[in-house]
Amino acid sequence: MFDLEKAIREWKRDLQKHEVFEDGLIADIEVHLRDAYDAQRKAGLEEEAAFRMAVTQVGKADRIASEFDKNRIVKLNRRSPLRPGRFMPALVWNYIKTALRVIRRQKIHSFINITGLAIGLTVCMLIVLWVADEWSFDRFHANARQINRVYRDESATNIDATSALTPPPMAAALKSDFSEIIRSSRFGYWQIPLVAFREKSFNEPGYRHADPDFFTMFSFPLVKGDPETLLTDPYSVVLTETTAAKYFGEEDPMGKVLTVNNTFDVVVTGIAEDVPSNSTLEFDLLSPFDLLLKEYIGEDNRDNWGFNSFSTYVMLPQNSSGDDFNQKLKGYLQKFGSEDPDELALQPLTDIHLFSNLGHDLRNRGDIKYVWIFSILAIFVLLIAGVNFMNLTTARSANRAKEVGLRKVVGADRSQLIRQFFGESVLMALFAFIAALFLLEILIPFFNAISGKHLSSPWQNNPLILCGFLGMAVMAGIVSGSYPALFLSSFRPIQILKGNMRSAGANSLFRKTLVIFQFSLSLFLIIGTIVISRQLSYMRNIDLGFDRDHTIHLSIHGELLEKYDAIRDRFLQNPEVLHVTASMALPTNIQSSPGTPEWEGKSPDTKMEIKADFVDYDYIETFGIPLVEGRSFSRSYATDEETAFIVNEEAVRRMGLQKPVVGKRFGFWDIDGQIIGVMKDAHFQSLQHKIEPLVFKIFRPWLRRMYVKIRSGNISSTLRSLEKSWNQMNLGYPFEYRFLDEDFSDLYKAEARLGSIFQSFAGLAVFIACLGLFSLAAFIAEQRTKEIGIRKVLGSSTIGIITLLNREFLRWTAAANLIAWPLAYFVMRRWIQKFAYRTNITIEIFMLAAMIGLAVTLVTVSIQTLKAAMANPAKSLKHE
Amino acid sequence: MISKTLMAASTRPIILAILSRGENYGYNIIQKVKDVTGGNLEWTDGMIYPVLQRMEMDNLITSQWKLSGENRPRRYYTITEKGRKELASELTGWRNVWQALNRFMTPVPAEEQ
Repeated sequence: MFDLEKAIREWKRDLQKHEVFEDGLIADIEVHLRDAYDAQRKAGLEEEAAFRMAVTQVGKADRIASEFDKNRIVKLNRRSPLRPGRFMPALVWNYIKTALRVIRRQKIHSFINITGLAIGLTVCMLIVLWVADEWSFDRFHANARQINRVYRDESATNIDATSALTPPPMAAALKSDFSEIIRSSRFGYWQIPLVAFREKSFNEPGYRHADPDFFTMFSFPLVKGDPETLLTDPYSVVLTETTAAKYFGEEDPMGKVLTVNNTFDVVVTGIAEDVPSNSTLEFDLLSPFDLLLKEYIGEDNRDNWGFNSFSTYVMLPQNSSGDDFNQKLKGYLQKFGSEDPDELALQPLTDIHLFSNLGHDLRNRGDIKYVWIFSILAIFVLLIAGVNFMNLTTARSANRAKEVGLRKVVGADRSQLIRQFFGESVLMALFAFIAALFLLEILIPFFNAISGKHLSSPWQNNPLILCGFLGMAVMAGIVSGSYPALFLSSFRPIQILKGNMRSAGANSLFRKTLVIFQFSLSLFLIIGTIVISRQLSYMRNIDLGFDRDHTIHLSIHGELLEKYDAIRDRFLQNPEVLHVTASMALPTNIQSSPGTPEWEGKSPDTKMEIKADFVDYDYIETFGIPLVEGRSFSRSYATDEETAFIVNEEAVRRMGLQKPVVGKRFGFWDIDGQIIGVMKDAHFQSLQHKIEPLVFKIFRPWLRRMYVKIRSGNISSTLRSLEKSWNQMNLGYPFEYRFLDEDFSDLYKAEARLGSIFQSFAGLAVFIACLGLFSLAAFIAEQRTKEIGIRKVLGSSTIGIITLLNREFLRWTAAANLIAWPLAYFVMRRWIQKFAYRTNITIEIFMLAAMIGLAVTLVTVSIQTLKAAMANPAKSLKHE
Repeated sequence: MISKTLMAASTRPIILAILSRGENYGYNIIQKVKDVTGGNLEWTDGMIYPVLQRMEMDNLITSQWKLSGENRPRRYYTITEKGRKELASELTGWRNVWQALNRFMTPVPAEEQ
């Protein structure tokens, strides 16, 4: 018997196999089937036949289903009217509230998170400011691209030697010989003069000399004076605003007369703005170069092509290349001295600060290597801070799974959640940015102190950089928020709300790699810091071979040189004064050389450059230089001032002289003299250099500095009584002295600076790496909560669990050591090799760094693991 | 017989035209089509439901479950304002096509050749 209802049920079951047939649709078609069946029955068919007809009439289920399917695709592509809009303004406040709530709820984590990112941003900003400053050097000149410095290439006689110093006639000669040179100017100084206005007088180390083209070539803005006519009158001077204020206060300086060295007067004809700190050319007072010729080195040196003591700058027309011009300069010097094998070449002004490695160059230059190193460091620091931010946020994500689930259930789609989490990370990044700006304000003075810069905060004059920083912060927020955003939004609501939190094991390798990487970086910096500080202390404590303690020195320029003997006699009356002597160069850094000397038995092809200093009697005694042969300079030998030389052992070795050396003929320039003594080798140069051949000769007209060796007892009272004697002599110069020790430290200023920069970065890197470890430890502890619970229930001790969790971190620390050690070894070995006298890079340094790293790791990680291990297992197991 | 493409193109205007005379349900719509065309338009009954669903998604018609005379719940479809506009524009379209066809098929005056 045919059962209609049963047949319909079976037919419906067939439809239900297709997902698209929702219940409503099936009901719809069912009614249709029944109508059709009724119609067939009316037409007179049997029940079963009528049903079959009706089914055929309705059609095949899969064909209808595929039509419905097409509708479904259309539906997916369009938003159904029930879906929420892409952006719900009403929810914005909710997002902010949620973000703030998350920040508030997890105070410590938010604090660490924001602090880490803030520190990363601060370091990055500092470095950006520093790099921008380094790049800005000399670029403020309107003609910066056209200005070049002329240098001498001495490679014909001296391998790889160059010199930035040129003779007085060069600037004018080049300008008249080459039409390409539109302007030229010399720039230099000869001594530190005493400048006086009425009762005020100062020694002026910033007194420079230049040619009339100077102010039209370089853009040093003038407050007063005409750039076209300035520096034409030899006895004129241009002051910077600060210098003018120092002498004249509120008075108008124009036309006022300053007295130099108590011997000649100069008239103030112009006032320039203070020289910016990013200028390689520096001056406080600027007079014409002619003044230098007339008053200091003599007019006869005006055409002396051998007097290489000044810089020469030339300006080319626009769009002309210095390289082409260098070709024209080939052989130019031979025009003036047929035996001069040196070549001239141009160096762009903008290269001087970062790219110059010429001999006798300006001091306090930068180095492009450091610019790169620090730029890379900045990127690393920001990267690491971002990764830590990411790790920490992801680690905390389990707590927010329910929120995600609920949001999804009430209709949030994934893109909305992604935007919500991005919004949160950008918000955090903005908090970090604000914190970073404050930190930056605090740190800039410290940074200036260690780096010797004059950086100002971006608020003051650099809105563009500030905007850049804001962009950087937002980018950091977006990038570091990307992983948490994608990860959190991918939670499946059903699973979360059921309580199954899936673990994110997929990216743990990535995370671990980053932690190892940042730890390696920290270790590298720690090792670097140790090596640099060891080398520094080695250099500071090495026996130089002469005695520099308790010695002050004073400049004896101008009239003081004439009165030197009187001053010396007066000082020697003081029982606390042991010795008084003088020399041309400071004994801490003797650099000048008279070229190759002549000596008895010299073979014609022997070449030996010798360093020389011109000294006074008692020099050997004052500095306690031991003699291995012969005697010191003595007033009892009338010829000592003319023909006596004292050489060092290295010179004797290189000249190949046999004992007795004393009495051998020796000389340089046209002096035919003899060696009266041989001194033990000592370090009269920075320890970067090997001890070179050295000779001392008495030459009193060239003495520039006077040395007073005093007893070690009451130094300050001795200095006071010396000042009193000085003032009683009415010399007209202030009593300005320095300790020789300070100059010695100055020799290693660059290294000391590098050391302190390394130290600060090492500190920061360790701190940031700690944040990274902390976040990873937190993440892992979170992931293994249940495991820890079970272990505890089964009888594990707290210690056992801490060991278990820490073991993994120790493995990573070991891996970081493996990476950092060889890297640090090679880099630091390269650095230390520039010192002729150096400490060894020993295994202890590496061990020490490893120990520090280990200690830091254990402390950081244990804070987290201890918390995890102490947790009540009942609690961790309950939240299923 | 009518080609498949023409069938596909005409389904929607025909349904709209039927509904423009008053609400109706699936089975009845099919019956009306069959009555009017005398069986020249061969529709598989079930295929009307996806079309109706799609038209409802496009807001041309709306639907409502109602109890009919035989005590069977049926889904009744009603044409919307948008549907009426659609029908009007479809009609213009079809008329244009029809006129074009007519023009070409009627004998052409000599001067136009």
